[in-house]
Amino acid sequence: MEEQISEQTVKVKKAVSQDLLGGRIDLLLGWEKGHYWWQSRPLFARSEKDLERLVWDSFCAVNLSRYLQDELKENKKIGVLVKGCDARAFNRLLQDRIVERERVILYGLPCPGMLDYARLTEEGGSDLEGIIEQDGTVILQTKEENKEMPREELLLARCRNCMHPDPVVYDQMLFTPLGDRERPEHFKAVEELERLSADERYTYWEKELSRCLRCYACRQVCPYCSCLECFVEQKSPRWQGRAYQPSENFMFHLVRAYHGTGRCIDCGECERVCPVGIPLMELNRKLIKDINELYGHYEAGLDPEQEPPLLTYRPDDPAAFSEK
Amino acid sequence: MSAALNDPATGWEPLIVAFCCNWCSYAGGDLAGTSRMNYPANVKVIRVPCSGRINPMFILRAFQRGADGVLVAGCHPGDCHYSTGNYHSRRRLSAFKRILEFVGLEPERFEVRWISASEGDKFAEEMEAMTGKIKALGPNRKMRDARWKSKSLSKQLK
Repeated sequence: MEEQISEQTVKVKKAVSQDLLGGRIDLLLGWEKGHYWWQSRPLFARSEKDLERLVWDSFCAVNLSRYLQDELKENKKIGVLVKGCDARAFNRLLQDRIVERERVILYGLPCPGMLDYARLTEEGGSDLEGIIEQDGTVILQTKEENKEMPREELLLARCRNCMHPDPVVYDQMLFTPLGDRERPEHFKAVEELERLSADERYTYWEKELSRCLRCYACRQVCPYCSCLECFVEQKSPRWQGRAYQPSENFMFHLVRAYHGTGRCIDCGECERVCPVGIPLMELNRKLIKDINELYGHYEAGLDPEQEPPLLTYRPDDPAAFSEK
Repeated sequence: MSAALNDPATGWEPLIVAFCCNWCSYAGGDLAGTSRMNYPANVKVIRVPCSGRINPMFILRAFQRGADGVLVAGCHPGDCHYSTGNYHSRRRLSAFKRILEFVGLEPERFEVRWISASEGDKFAEEMEAMTGKIKALGPNRKMRDARWKSKSLSKQLK
Protein backbone atom coordinates (compact mmCIF):
# COMPACT_ATOMS: atom_id res chain seq x y z
CA MET A 1 0.00 0.00 0.00
CA GLU A 2 1.45 3.35 -1.00
CA GLU A 3 0.26 5.00 2.21
CA GLN A 4 1.42 2.11 4.32
CA ILE A 5 4.91 2.24 2.83
CA SER A 6 5.23 5.95 3.40
CA GLU A 7 3.85 5.41 6.89
CA GLN A 8 6.68 2.97 7.37
CA THR A 9 9.16 5.51 6.02
CA VAL A 10 7.89 8.02 8.58
CA LYS A 11 8.36 5.49 11.34
CA VAL A 12 11.89 4.69 10.22
CA LYS A 13 12.77 8.39 10.01
CA LYS A 14 11.41 8.99 13.48
CA ALA A 15 13.39 6.12 14.94
CA VAL A 16 16.72 7.17 13.44
CA SER A 17 16.41 10.94 13.70
CA GLN A 18 16.72 10.91 17.52
CA ASP A 19 20.04 9.11 17.33
CA LEU A 20 21.43 11.10 14.40
CA LEU A 21 20.36 14.53 15.60
CA GLY A 22 21.15 13.67 19.20
CA GLY A 23 24.73 12.91 18.14
CA ARG A 24 24.65 9.25 19.11
CA ILE A 25 25.71 8.36 15.56
CA ASP A 26 27.79 10.38 13.08
CA LEU A 27 26.33 8.87 9.97
CA LEU A 28 23.22 7.00 9.01
CA LEU A 29 23.25 4.54 6.13
CA GLY A 30 19.82 4.29 4.53
CA TRP A 31 18.18 4.64 1.13
CA GLU A 32 16.89 7.58 -0.91
CA LYS A 33 15.05 7.72 -4.23
CA GLY A 34 17.36 7.47 -7.23
CA HIS A 35 16.97 8.98 -10.69
CA TYR A 36 13.96 6.81 -11.50
CA TRP A 37 10.97 5.85 -9.37
CA TRP A 38 12.10 2.22 -9.45
CA GLN A 39 15.49 2.94 -7.95
CA SER A 40 16.39 3.43 -4.31
CA ARG A 41 20.04 4.21 -3.89
CA PRO A 42 22.15 4.36 -0.73
CA LEU A 43 21.78 7.49 1.39
CA PHE A 44 24.59 8.78 3.56
CA ALA A 45 22.74 11.02 6.02
CA ARG A 46 24.65 13.38 8.30
CA SER A 47 22.05 16.08 8.96
CA GLU A 48 18.33 16.64 9.37
CA LYS A 49 18.20 17.88 5.77
CA ASP A 50 19.75 14.65 4.48
CA LEU A 51 17.34 12.64 6.56
CA GLU A 52 14.34 14.16 4.73
CA ARG A 53 15.29 12.14 1.66
CA LEU A 54 15.22 8.81 3.50
CA VAL A 55 12.85 6.16 2.13
CA TRP A 56 11.96 2.58 2.97
CA ASP A 57 10.06 1.14 0.01
CA SER A 58 10.03 -1.89 -2.30
CA PHE A 59 13.22 -0.97 -4.14
CA CYS A 60 15.72 -0.79 -1.27
CA ALA A 61 17.66 -3.79 -2.54
CA VAL A 62 21.18 -2.39 -2.02
CA ASN A 63 23.01 -4.14 0.79
CA LEU A 64 24.14 -1.33 3.10
CA SER A 65 26.49 -3.34 5.32
CA ARG A 66 28.92 -3.39 2.41
CA TYR A 67 29.63 0.33 2.93
CA LEU A 68 30.67 -0.07 6.57
CA GLN A 69 34.23 -1.13 5.79
CA ASP A 70 34.98 2.22 4.13
CA GLU A 71 32.75 4.45 6.20
CA LEU A 72 34.13 3.25 9.54
CA LYS A 73 37.49 4.74 8.56
CA GLU A 74 36.01 8.23 8.68
CA ASN A 75 33.17 7.96 11.18
CA LYS A 76 33.29 7.03 14.84
CA LYS A 77 29.84 5.54 15.05
CA ILE A 78 27.43 4.60 12.29
CA GLY A 79 23.76 3.71 12.22
CA VAL A 80 22.65 1.25 9.52
CA LEU A 81 19.23 0.19 8.36
CA VAL A 82 19.39 -3.56 7.94
CA LYS A 83 17.12 -6.01 6.15
CA GLY A 84 17.56 -9.75 6.63
CA CYS A 85 20.40 -9.98 4.12
CA ASP A 86 22.12 -6.79 5.33
CA ALA A 87 22.15 -8.19 8.86
CA ARG A 88 23.70 -11.46 7.72
CA ALA A 89 26.28 -9.45 5.77
CA PHE A 90 27.01 -7.54 8.96
CA ASN A 91 27.61 -10.78 10.82
CA ARG A 92 29.92 -11.86 8.04
CA LEU A 93 32.00 -8.67 8.37
CA LEU A 94 31.97 -9.08 12.14
CA GLN A 95 33.35 -12.59 11.76
CA ASP A 96 36.19 -11.30 9.56
CA ARG A 97 36.83 -8.59 12.16
CA ILE A 98 36.28 -5.87 9.61
CA VAL A 99 33.72 -4.02 11.72
CA GLU A 100 33.53 -3.50 15.45
CA ARG A 101 30.14 -4.26 16.90
CA GLU A 102 30.17 -1.36 19.38
CA ARG A 103 30.76 1.20 16.63
CA VAL A 104 27.59 0.33 14.76
CA ILE A 105 23.92 0.68 15.63
CA LEU A 106 21.64 -1.58 13.63
CA TYR A 107 18.00 -0.70 12.97
CA GLY A 108 16.24 -3.91 11.99
CA LEU A 109 13.75 -3.91 9.13
CA PRO A 110 11.86 -7.16 8.49
CA CYS A 111 11.86 -7.31 4.69
CA PRO A 112 8.88 -8.40 2.57
CA GLY A 113 11.20 -8.78 -0.46
CA MET A 114 12.24 -6.22 -3.04
CA LEU A 115 10.62 -5.76 -6.45
CA ASP A 116 12.49 -6.49 -9.65
CA TYR A 117 12.22 -3.76 -12.30
CA ALA A 118 12.97 -6.28 -15.03
CA ARG A 119 9.96 -8.35 -13.90
CA LEU A 120 7.77 -5.24 -13.66
CA THR A 121 8.46 -4.22 -17.27
CA GLU A 122 8.10 -7.82 -18.38
CA GLU A 123 4.53 -7.79 -17.07
CA GLY A 124 3.62 -4.14 -17.51
CA GLY A 125 5.53 -3.30 -20.70
CA SER A 126 8.24 -0.71 -21.17
CA ASP A 127 5.82 2.23 -20.85
CA LEU A 128 5.21 1.40 -17.18
CA GLU A 129 4.61 4.66 -15.32
CA GLY A 130 4.44 3.54 -11.74
CA ILE A 131 3.04 1.05 -9.30
CA ILE A 132 0.60 1.02 -6.40
CA GLU A 133 0.99 -1.57 -3.71
CA GLN A 134 -1.89 -3.06 -1.77
CA ASP A 135 -1.71 -5.97 0.69
CA GLY A 136 0.29 -8.51 -1.28
CA THR A 137 -0.70 -7.25 -4.73
CA VAL A 138 0.90 -4.73 -7.03
CA ILE A 139 -1.04 -2.60 -9.50
CA LEU A 140 1.06 -1.83 -12.56
CA GLN A 141 0.11 1.55 -14.06
CA THR A 142 0.61 1.98 -17.78
CA LYS A 143 -0.75 4.63 -20.18
CA GLU A 144 -3.68 2.50 -21.28
CA GLU A 145 -4.65 0.30 -18.38
CA ASN A 146 -3.80 -0.96 -14.91
CA LYS A 147 -2.76 -4.55 -14.32
CA GLU A 148 -2.97 -6.28 -10.97
CA MET A 149 -0.38 -8.91 -10.02
CA PRO A 150 0.50 -10.84 -6.87
CA ARG A 151 3.53 -9.18 -5.25
CA GLU A 152 5.32 -12.50 -4.77
CA GLU A 153 5.62 -12.95 -8.56
CA LEU A 154 7.35 -9.61 -9.07
CA LEU A 155 10.13 -10.06 -6.53
CA LEU A 156 13.82 -10.22 -7.30
CA ALA A 157 14.98 -13.83 -7.79
CA ARG A 158 17.03 -13.58 -4.61
CA CYS A 159 14.00 -12.46 -2.58
CA ARG A 160 11.89 -15.33 -3.92
CA ASN A 161 14.61 -17.61 -2.51
CA CYS A 162 15.00 -15.74 0.77
CA MET A 163 14.71 -17.86 3.91
CA HIS A 164 15.48 -15.25 6.55
CA PRO A 165 13.61 -11.98 5.88
CA ASP A 166 14.13 -10.79 9.46
CA PRO A 167 17.44 -9.30 10.59
CA VAL A 168 19.32 -11.83 12.72
CA VAL A 169 21.28 -9.10 14.48
CA TYR A 170 19.92 -5.67 15.48
CA ASP A 171 19.86 -3.12 18.26
CA GLN A 172 16.35 -1.97 17.60
CA MET A 173 13.68 -3.80 15.60
CA LEU A 174 11.46 -1.25 13.88
CA PHE A 175 8.60 -3.49 12.73
CA THR A 176 7.01 -6.83 13.59
CA PRO A 177 9.19 -9.75 12.41
CA LEU A 178 7.82 -11.81 9.52
CA GLY A 179 9.30 -15.17 10.51
CA ASP A 180 11.58 -17.57 8.63
CA ARG A 181 10.38 -19.24 5.46
CA GLU A 182 10.84 -22.63 3.88
CA ARG A 183 12.26 -22.57 0.36
CA PRO A 184 12.12 -26.13 -0.96
CA GLU A 185 13.18 -24.99 -4.45
CA HIS A 186 16.29 -23.22 -3.19
CA PHE A 187 18.75 -25.52 -4.96
CA LYS A 188 16.50 -26.43 -7.89
CA ALA A 189 18.56 -24.67 -10.59
CA VAL A 190 21.77 -26.23 -9.24
CA GLU A 191 20.24 -29.71 -9.20
CA GLU A 192 19.03 -29.33 -12.78
CA LEU A 193 22.55 -28.43 -13.92
CA GLU A 194 24.01 -31.34 -11.96
CA ARG A 195 21.90 -33.74 -13.99
CA LEU A 196 23.56 -32.67 -17.27
CA SER A 197 26.69 -34.33 -18.65
CA ALA A 198 30.12 -32.74 -18.11
CA ASP A 199 30.32 -31.48 -21.70
CA GLU A 200 26.81 -30.00 -21.56
CA ARG A 201 27.65 -28.18 -18.35
CA TYR A 202 30.87 -26.84 -19.84
CA THR A 203 29.02 -25.55 -22.91
CA TYR A 204 26.42 -23.93 -20.65
CA TRP A 205 28.98 -22.14 -18.50
CA GLU A 206 31.21 -21.17 -21.41
CA LYS A 207 28.19 -19.49 -23.00
CA GLU A 208 26.93 -17.81 -19.82
CA LEU A 209 30.38 -16.56 -18.80
CA SER A 210 31.22 -15.35 -22.31
CA ARG A 211 29.03 -12.30 -21.63
CA CYS A 212 31.21 -11.23 -18.70
CA LEU A 213 32.57 -7.71 -19.17
CA ARG A 214 34.94 -8.09 -16.22
CA CYS A 215 33.39 -4.97 -14.66
CA TYR A 216 33.78 -6.63 -11.24
CA ALA A 217 30.47 -5.18 -10.05
CA CYS A 218 29.74 -8.58 -8.47
CA ARG A 219 32.86 -8.30 -6.38
CA GLN A 220 32.26 -4.66 -5.55
CA VAL A 221 28.86 -5.25 -3.90
CA CYS A 222 29.76 -8.50 -2.23
CA PRO A 223 29.89 -8.56 1.57
CA TYR A 224 32.40 -11.42 1.55
CA CYS A 225 34.74 -9.67 -0.90
CA SER A 226 36.46 -7.50 1.65
CA CYS A 227 40.15 -8.02 0.79
CA LEU A 228 42.10 -4.78 0.54
CA GLU A 229 43.75 -6.09 -2.60
CA CYS A 230 41.72 -8.45 -4.76
CA PHE A 231 43.44 -11.18 -6.78
CA VAL A 232 42.04 -9.70 -10.00
CA GLU A 233 44.09 -6.54 -9.56
CA GLN A 234 47.19 -8.14 -8.15
CA LYS A 235 50.17 -7.45 -10.45
CA SER A 236 52.61 -9.97 -9.05
CA PRO A 237 51.71 -12.73 -9.42
CA ARG A 238 49.24 -11.66 -12.04
CA TRP A 239 46.49 -14.21 -11.53
CA GLN A 240 43.81 -12.64 -13.65
CA GLY A 241 44.62 -11.97 -17.30
CA ARG A 242 42.80 -9.22 -19.19
CA ALA A 243 42.22 -11.23 -22.35
CA TYR A 244 38.65 -11.79 -23.47
CA GLN A 245 38.51 -15.57 -23.64
CA PRO A 246 36.85 -18.48 -21.82
CA SER A 247 39.87 -19.49 -19.77
CA GLU A 248 40.10 -16.05 -18.14
CA ASN A 249 36.33 -15.99 -17.56
CA PHE A 250 36.54 -19.33 -15.77
CA MET A 251 39.50 -18.12 -13.75
CA PHE A 252 37.62 -15.09 -12.47
CA HIS A 253 34.25 -16.66 -11.83
CA LEU A 254 35.49 -19.88 -10.26
CA VAL A 255 37.84 -18.08 -7.91
CA ARG A 256 35.28 -15.40 -7.05
CA ALA A 257 32.70 -18.04 -6.19
CA TYR A 258 35.23 -20.23 -4.41
CA HIS A 259 36.31 -17.39 -2.14
CA GLY A 260 32.75 -17.47 -0.86
CA THR A 261 32.80 -21.13 0.15
CA GLY A 262 31.17 -21.25 3.57
CA ARG A 263 31.11 -17.44 3.60
CA CYS A 264 28.44 -16.57 1.02
CA ILE A 265 25.35 -15.33 2.84
CA ASP A 266 23.15 -16.06 -0.17
CA CYS A 267 22.02 -12.43 -0.54
CA GLY A 268 22.19 -12.48 -4.34
CA GLU A 269 23.58 -8.96 -4.69
CA CYS A 270 26.17 -10.18 -7.23
CA GLU A 271 23.49 -11.55 -9.49
CA ARG A 272 21.31 -8.45 -9.11
CA VAL A 273 24.04 -6.00 -10.12
CA CYS A 274 25.43 -8.08 -12.99
CA PRO A 275 24.83 -5.93 -16.08
CA VAL A 276 24.78 -8.96 -18.40
CA GLY A 277 22.70 -11.28 -16.21
CA ILE A 278 25.14 -14.12 -15.50
CA PRO A 279 23.51 -16.60 -13.07
CA LEU A 280 26.27 -16.14 -10.49
CA MET A 281 24.19 -17.49 -7.63
CA GLU A 282 24.14 -20.92 -9.27
CA LEU A 283 27.89 -21.13 -8.65
CA ASN A 284 27.57 -19.77 -5.12
CA ARG A 285 24.65 -22.06 -4.27
CA LYS A 286 26.48 -25.09 -5.64
CA LEU A 287 29.24 -24.43 -3.10
CA ILE A 288 26.73 -23.88 -0.30
CA LYS A 289 24.99 -27.12 -1.22
CA ASP A 290 28.24 -29.15 -1.33
CA ILE A 291 29.51 -27.79 1.96
CA ASN A 292 26.17 -28.66 3.55
CA GLU A 293 26.30 -32.18 2.13
CA LEU A 294 29.93 -32.84 3.05
CA TYR A 295 30.54 -30.96 6.29
CA GLY A 296 27.15 -30.41 7.85
CA HIS A 297 24.49 -27.76 7.50
CA TYR A 298 25.87 -24.24 7.66
CA GLU A 299 24.33 -20.90 6.81
CA ALA A 300 26.83 -18.07 6.70
CA GLY A 301 25.98 -14.92 8.62
CA LEU A 302 23.33 -16.44 10.89
CA ASP A 303 25.57 -16.93 13.91
CA PRO A 304 28.92 -15.11 14.15
CA GLU A 305 30.04 -17.53 16.87
CA GLN A 306 29.77 -20.57 14.62
CA GLU A 307 33.04 -21.26 12.81
CA PRO A 308 32.94 -21.13 8.98
CA PRO A 309 33.38 -24.66 7.56
CA LEU A 310 36.61 -23.96 5.69
CA LEU A 311 38.32 -22.52 8.75
CA THR A 312 37.92 -25.70 10.73
CA TYR A 313 38.03 -29.49 10.26
CA ARG A 314 37.22 -32.80 11.87
CA PRO A 315 39.69 -35.69 11.68
CA ASP A 316 36.96 -37.94 10.28
CA ASP A 317 35.81 -35.57 7.53
CA PRO A 318 34.57 -37.13 4.31
CA ALA A 319 36.23 -36.16 1.01
CA ALA A 320 35.00 -35.66 -2.54
CA PHE A 321 37.88 -37.83 -3.81
CA SER A 322 39.05 -41.36 -3.10
CA GLU A 323 41.07 -41.61 0.12
CA LYS A 324 42.37 -45.15 -0.32
CA MET B 1 37.20 -34.45 -28.22
CA SER B 2 38.02 -35.67 -31.65
CA ALA B 3 38.96 -39.29 -32.03
CA ALA B 4 42.02 -38.43 -34.14
CA LEU B 5 43.63 -36.60 -31.23
CA ASN B 6 42.98 -39.56 -29.01
CA ASP B 7 44.61 -41.97 -31.41
CA PRO B 8 47.81 -43.45 -29.97
CA ALA B 9 49.22 -43.58 -33.51
CA THR B 10 49.42 -39.77 -33.65
CA GLY B 11 51.69 -39.80 -30.64
CA TRP B 12 49.71 -37.54 -28.32
CA GLU B 13 50.93 -37.79 -24.77
CA PRO B 14 49.07 -36.24 -21.85
CA LEU B 15 50.65 -33.65 -19.61
CA ILE B 16 49.93 -34.20 -15.93
CA VAL B 17 50.95 -31.78 -13.22
CA ALA B 18 51.40 -33.30 -9.77
CA PHE B 19 51.68 -30.99 -6.78
CA CYS B 20 53.48 -33.05 -4.15
CA CYS B 21 53.91 -32.16 -0.52
CA ASN B 22 57.55 -31.93 0.53
CA TRP B 23 57.28 -34.22 3.54
CA CYS B 24 55.33 -37.20 2.27
CA SER B 25 54.43 -37.43 -1.39
CA TYR B 26 57.60 -35.87 -2.77
CA ALA B 27 59.63 -38.23 -0.59
CA GLY B 28 57.33 -41.02 -1.81
CA GLY B 29 58.24 -40.07 -5.38
CA ASP B 30 61.89 -40.05 -4.37
CA LEU B 31 61.54 -43.54 -2.95
CA ALA B 32 59.91 -44.72 -6.16
CA GLY B 33 62.93 -43.37 -8.01
CA THR B 34 65.63 -44.79 -5.74
CA SER B 35 63.81 -48.14 -5.73
CA ARG B 36 63.97 -48.14 -9.55
CA MET B 37 60.20 -48.21 -9.95
CA ASN B 38 58.85 -46.90 -13.23
CA TYR B 39 56.14 -44.31 -13.59
CA PRO B 40 55.14 -42.39 -16.73
CA ALA B 41 57.23 -39.39 -17.73
CA ASN B 42 53.98 -37.53 -18.46
CA VAL B 43 53.84 -36.56 -14.82
CA LYS B 44 55.61 -33.31 -13.95
CA VAL B 45 56.13 -32.97 -10.22
CA ILE B 46 55.98 -29.59 -8.49
CA ARG B 47 57.12 -29.60 -4.90
CA VAL B 48 55.08 -27.64 -2.37
CA PRO B 49 55.64 -27.35 1.38
CA CYS B 50 52.25 -28.88 2.21
CA SER B 51 49.05 -29.83 0.44
CA GLY B 52 47.56 -26.95 2.43
CA ARG B 53 49.79 -24.63 0.38
CA ILE B 54 47.71 -25.36 -2.72
CA ASN B 55 45.92 -22.29 -3.90
CA PRO B 56 43.03 -23.29 -6.19
CA MET B 57 44.42 -20.79 -8.66
CA PHE B 58 47.48 -23.07 -9.07
CA ILE B 59 45.15 -25.75 -10.37
CA LEU B 60 43.30 -23.43 -12.73
CA ARG B 61 46.60 -22.00 -13.99
CA ALA B 62 47.87 -25.51 -14.74
CA PHE B 63 44.78 -26.20 -16.85
CA GLN B 64 45.13 -22.80 -18.56
CA ARG B 65 48.73 -23.53 -19.50
CA GLY B 66 48.16 -26.94 -21.01
CA ALA B 67 47.78 -29.56 -18.29
CA ASP B 68 45.48 -32.44 -19.21
CA GLY B 69 45.23 -33.53 -15.60
CA VAL B 70 46.20 -32.17 -12.20
CA LEU B 71 46.98 -34.23 -9.14
CA VAL B 72 47.51 -32.96 -5.62
CA ALA B 73 49.30 -35.40 -3.33
CA GLY B 74 49.77 -34.94 0.39
CA CYS B 75 50.38 -36.79 3.64
CA HIS B 76 47.71 -39.11 4.98
CA PRO B 77 45.26 -37.32 7.29
CA GLY B 78 46.81 -37.23 10.74
CA ASP B 79 50.37 -37.37 9.40
CA CYS B 80 50.78 -33.74 8.33
CA HIS B 81 54.19 -32.27 9.09
CA TYR B 82 52.38 -29.10 10.14
CA SER B 83 49.77 -31.09 12.10
CA THR B 84 46.60 -29.90 10.36
CA GLY B 85 47.50 -28.72 6.83
CA ASN B 86 46.00 -31.67 5.03
CA TYR B 87 42.83 -31.65 7.14
CA HIS B 88 42.22 -28.14 5.82
CA SER B 89 43.15 -29.04 2.26
CA ARG B 90 40.78 -32.01 2.37
CA ARG B 91 37.86 -29.64 2.94
CA ARG B 92 39.08 -26.99 0.52
CA LEU B 93 39.98 -29.31 -2.32
CA SER B 94 36.78 -31.35 -1.93
CA ALA B 95 34.75 -28.18 -2.43
CA PHE B 96 36.98 -27.10 -5.30
CA LYS B 97 36.79 -30.46 -7.03
CA ARG B 98 33.01 -30.34 -6.87
CA ILE B 99 32.83 -26.84 -8.37
CA LEU B 100 35.28 -27.79 -11.15
CA GLU B 101 33.02 -30.69 -12.03
CA PHE B 102 30.01 -28.40 -11.84
CA VAL B 103 31.39 -26.15 -14.58
CA GLY B 104 32.03 -29.17 -16.76
CA LEU B 105 35.50 -30.56 -16.09
CA GLU B 106 35.66 -34.36 -16.19
CA PRO B 107 36.09 -35.72 -12.62
CA GLU B 108 39.18 -37.73 -13.63
CA ARG B 109 41.14 -34.62 -14.60
CA PHE B 110 41.53 -33.33 -11.06
CA GLU B 111 42.42 -35.71 -8.28
CA VAL B 112 43.73 -35.61 -4.73
CA ARG B 113 45.65 -38.52 -3.20
CA TRP B 114 47.31 -39.22 0.13
CA ILE B 115 50.74 -40.78 -0.41
CA SER B 116 53.24 -41.21 2.43
CA ALA B 117 57.05 -41.12 2.23
CA SER B 118 57.22 -44.90 2.50
CA GLU B 119 54.72 -45.54 -0.28
CA GLY B 120 56.99 -45.43 -3.30
CA ASP B 121 54.98 -48.21 -4.91
CA LYS B 122 51.71 -46.36 -4.32
CA PHE B 123 53.23 -43.22 -5.86
CA ALA B 124 54.20 -45.11 -8.99
CA GLU B 125 50.80 -46.85 -9.16
CA GLU B 126 48.81 -43.64 -8.75
CA MET B 127 50.83 -41.87 -11.45
CA GLU B 128 50.34 -44.84 -13.75
CA ALA B 129 46.60 -44.94 -13.08
CA MET B 130 46.14 -41.19 -13.55
CA THR B 131 48.08 -41.22 -16.84
CA GLY B 132 46.00 -44.15 -18.07
CA LYS B 133 42.73 -42.38 -17.27
CA ILE B 134 43.79 -39.14 -18.94
CA LYS B 135 45.02 -41.01 -22.02
CA ALA B 136 41.60 -42.61 -22.31
CA LEU B 137 39.90 -39.20 -21.99
CA GLY B 138 42.09 -37.47 -24.56
CA PRO B 139 43.51 -33.95 -24.57
CA ASN B 140 41.88 -31.34 -22.40
CA ARG B 141 40.54 -28.22 -24.06
CA LYS B 142 38.39 -26.95 -21.21
CA MET B 143 39.60 -23.83 -19.41
CA ARG B 144 42.70 -23.77 -21.61
CA ASP B 145 44.22 -20.45 -22.57
CA ALA B 146 43.47 -19.92 -26.28
CA ARG B 147 47.03 -18.68 -26.81
CA TRP B 148 48.58 -21.85 -25.43
CA LYS B 149 50.19 -24.05 -28.07
CA SER B 150 51.31 -27.59 -27.52
CA LYS B 151 54.08 -28.83 -29.81
CA SER B 152 52.59 -32.27 -30.23
CA LEU B 153 49.03 -30.94 -30.53
CA SER B 154 49.79 -28.29 -33.16
CA LYS B 155 51.66 -30.89 -35.19
CA GLN B 156 48.56 -33.08 -35.23
CA LEU B 157 46.24 -30.22 -36.06
CA LYS B 158 48.16 -29.25 -39.21
